[in-house]
Amino acid sequence: MTSSLDSLSRRAFIERLGGVGGTGLVMAGMSALGFGIESRAATPPSLSGGGGKKIVVLGSGVAGLTSAYELSKAGYDVTLLEARDRIGGRSYTARKGTKLTELGGEAQTCAFDEGHYINPGPWRIPYHHRGYLHYAKTFEVPMELFNNDNDHSYVYFAKGSGPLAGKAIRKQEIAADTRGYATEMLAKQVNQGALDQDFSKGDKELFLSYLRSEGYLTGKDFKYIGSEGRGWAVDRGAGLNPGVPSTPYALSDILQSDTWATLKSVSDFDQQRTMFQPVGGMDQLPAGFVRHLKPTIIHKSHVVEKISQDADKVQVHYVDGKGHRGVVTADYCICTIPLSVLRGIDIQVSDPFKKAVSGVSYAPVGKIGIQMKRRFWEEDHAIYGGHVYFDNPDIGSIALPSTGWLGNKGVLLGYYQFGANAAKISAKRLAERQAFAVAEGQKVFPQYAENAESAFSIAWHRVQYNLGGWAEWNTDNRRDSYPILNEPDGRIYLAGEHLSYLTGWQEGGIESAWQQIGKLHKRVHA
Amino acid sequence: MFYRRQAFMTVVAAATLAAGAAFAQPDGKALFGQNCSACHQANGKGIHGAFPALAGDLFVAGPPETVASVVLNGRGGMPTFGKDLSNEDIAAILTYVRGSWGNHAGPLSPKMIESARNPGNRQDDALKMQAH
Repeated sequence: MTSSLDSLSRRAFIERLGGVGGTGLVMAGMSALGFGIESRAATPPSLSGGGGKKIVVLGSGVAGLTSAYELSKAGYDVTLLEARDRIGGRSYTARKGTKLTELGGEAQTCAFDEGHYINPGPWRIPYHHRGYLHYAKTFEVPMELFNNDNDHSYVYFAKGSGPLAGKAIRKQEIAADTRGYATEMLAKQVNQGALDQDFSKGDKELFLSYLRSEGYLTGKDFKYIGSEGRGWAVDRGAGLNPGVPSTPYALSDILQSDTWATLKSVSDFDQQRTMFQPVGGMDQLPAGFVRHLKPTIIHKSHVVEKISQDADKVQVHYVDGKGHRGVVTADYCICTIPLSVLRGIDIQVSDPFKKAVSGVSYAPVGKIGIQMKRRFWEEDHAIYGGHVYFDNPDIGSIALPSTGWLGNKGVLLGYYQFGANAAKISAKRLAERQAFAVAEGQKVFPQYAENAESAFSIAWHRVQYNLGGWAEWNTDNRRDSYPILNEPDGRIYLAGEHLSYLTGWQEGGIESAWQQIGKLHKRVHA
Repeated sequence: MFYRRQAFMTVVAAATLAAGAAFAQPDGKALFGQNCSACHQANGKGIHGAFPALAGDLFVAGPPETVASVVLNGRGGMPTFGKDLSNEDIAAILTYVRGSWGNHAGPLSPKMIESARNPGNRQDDALKMQAH
């Protein structure tokens, strides 16, 4: 990397990045290449002197709420229209009494016990999503740890072959054995001099030390004979119970099972520890915003039908919950409606802008929360939070709750699937979705079916006012459409996760709002 | 985990292909019900403002390659099915769609689906779909 950059010159390289990905990519590139420019904002833009200019914000997800909060704090006269009878958009929590009817689907009412819930949308906040954490702190929304990686959880891969296929295997066993064998083989090669030309003086010994440490290798011949970390055959205890070490699986069995696919040197940046979740559900952050907004700002059950504009004003035509039609006239509009929905709304923008709105894909996404009578994953399996990974993409993963530890009941996530798999599972009736999820979970936990009490499922592509989980940009429309949508069309500014490189994350919505209101404010004061 | 999606899909596709060759022709109506009806609805009428109707739709009755390409590569809110369904399955589904609900367009063969497969940009992007 460094050598090719030297010949190209870093500046020229960054300019090329800009041609491909717009400003965001330039900024990320500059940060990565040591120019010291942060690509990401950690705090909202400091705005003041809104002078009563009228802003209409469309949508009350985190992008809309961020815009409304910051702009009204800066002295703008804000009106927020929300299509639903609740605020929060995808920052959503299903609990006792939550109602949802998907397009073309049956009516569903969540029947979980009091205090139990599922976050059907976003659910985990990485440590580097500083905008989200900024608002959690500002609004004093209590946060707790979200366990995103559990050594003692299971991997259930059925599509491979050999004795480990179709069995629930502890992740710690796969990790210890795969890395143990891999480092053993490499250490033997290095020790025998096979790679001597790759090492400078002294490095060979250091590398061998690393391999010994990484793989828990023993003896002069760097042998992997198991490790304590993979767990005990008989656990150690008090008195005369020194424990019995466990026996590693055969390398060939692990390879053929495909379970090694769950291992990586380090988690993707978005999935690393530490992770958080709001105590009590994802809808707690929107609730925090609402506590700090004038109650007259938010208008629920106002569905946008048309957005028009001229040289001086923007007009938003809506129909409210009682069927009454009306118009909000404002100086500017911040529209956070997902592009999947916006493309069906009559909006007065240029043809290239309209084309850009309609060209973006949205991800079909499915989730199901299942309430269990008892926390058998904790009581019988010693698994506290984290995920059980499946190679069946119709399930994806089962996630155990990172809340209510050691309690009596719990709601776990029974599947999390995308794309064609989500389309397929969402065609099932609600009871069939539950039956499918329970039958798959039963393969890992023998206690699963007998404890499953009730379920709440969602298929985001079938949810009105969402029509998809998140924006899915491809290389072409990132290049062609994305830069167009990041700039205002007349008096209309778009914001949301779809206008970020953090698509599908709350942080994308928040930072996109910061960027757009910053631009708007600059224009007002130009 | 999701980064292994491509490899697993290949295994699934191979298995489906083998099954298709050994047993009876895939049932287009049943496959449509499983994979498409969540959005386009079992009656092919879609949902206004959200999912396009396939019944009486000119696009559906149009050139086979174009229709197949949308199923293979996705478009708008529609996911890519190219890695999840075999040529035989997609041909059966599209033949069913083009001959149902008043549509009168000709059937598609697995060979036509194969020729419409284009391992282009969009499919690669779809495979990168990540959990959040």
